[in-house]
Amino acid sequence: MLDRSAVGRTTPPTLNEVERGAIRRFAEALGDYNPIYFDGEYARASGFSNVAAPPSFPISFASGSDLRELVGVPSRSLLLGEVSFEYERPIVAGDRLLVTSRVAEIADRTGPAGRVEVAVIEDEGRDEEGHLVFRARRSYVVRATRES
Amino acid sequence: MPPRKLYFENLRIGDELPAMAKAPIDRVQLARYAAATNDYNPLNIDELQAKAIGMPSVVAPSTLGLGFLGQLVTDWARGGQVRRASARFTRMLWPGDTLVCKGRVSDRWGEGGRYFVELDVWAENQKGELVVRGTVALKVFYSFEDETRFRTGQPPLIVNVPRESLLHAPPAPAPAPSSTASKPPKGKPAASKKPAKKATRSAPKKKAAPKKPAKPKKTGARKPAKSSKRKK
Repeated sequence: MLDRSAVGRTTPPTLNEVERGAIRRFAEALGDYNPIYFDGEYARASGFSNVAAPPSFPISFASGSDLRELVGVPSRSLLLGEVSFEYERPIVAGDRLLVTSRVAEIADRTGPAGRVEVAVIEDEGRDEEGHLVFRARRSYVVRATRES
Repeated sequence: MPPRKLYFENLRIGDELPAMAKAPIDRVQLARYAAATNDYNPLNIDELQAKAIGMPSVVAPSTLGLGFLGQLVTDWARGGQVRRASARFTRMLWPGDTLVCKGRVSDRWGEGGRYFVELDVWAENQKGELVVRGTVALKVFYSFEDETRFRTGQPPLIVNVPRESLLHAPPAPAPAPSSTASKPPKGKPAASKKPAKKATRSAPKKKAAPKKPAKPKKTGARKPAKSSKRKK
């Protein structure tokens, strides 16, 4: 059961330093060897200010554990149904981003498998001057399992 | 070697991205992805725990499929920057699944010297089932000249291009817009300088539902430009 009173709950800004090594490991885990993720010079020639982060990299900013604090159930009980990102500019190595997550919505929806509980989390990352760098939106449904 | 670029002027709605086949997902990849995302959900990495709750094996995080779509787009975009990406996950991903990622240009527009391309992207598993589908908006330069201007600090090239998808909207009852743009009649006041706003502007954006292309395009089929050989 999701915590209905969680809507509006917001995490304090957490500093995420975007490290080159973290970008490299993320790209390698995907099996994506585009040089813009590995080679600063190539990335700059491609129009990025430094080694770029893959488009889905902000996933690594939100650790699964804060979901329990946010909506009252552990991440293993949640199934990600939809996700979206909006970027004001590309995220690059060396960025220092302050990331907050907020519970935007908790609701019941009727899907093909009957009634399901849905939680929507919105994240936002700003640089240290307070400029918006990205926004993300994650929609979860509570996983139906045989877990007691 | 300077990267080859993707420019707005060369793109059209319906252009297909070369399909990208990924290697089968395996448990080592899941372990690496867990580390890279700092998300150690046991259902993704601990076979015993996954089975204990009735799953056949560990399951891959759905965002892995999104990462693959990111690769598809970034490979193709060659310097184009992702401004927006969204995805809906329609099926679980399992170790052993082999995904093929596909995409198609669904829209393009330019205003105020900024140019955007929108793509429909999706991935299918080895059974041909859709596992994830989404849209991506990229910011690109209009042309090589536009990019050169940017790099030398000059104002951008301004070409106003209405959302191209609107041009393909079903025929409006109004008479078709006459194409007098190139030569305005002499007697007209100068007010007609602005490109006529398309009447369909307020119509809801029609998404061309990505009807599945019948056949995946061969990947890596990029032919080297044939230089017409002329023997001296």
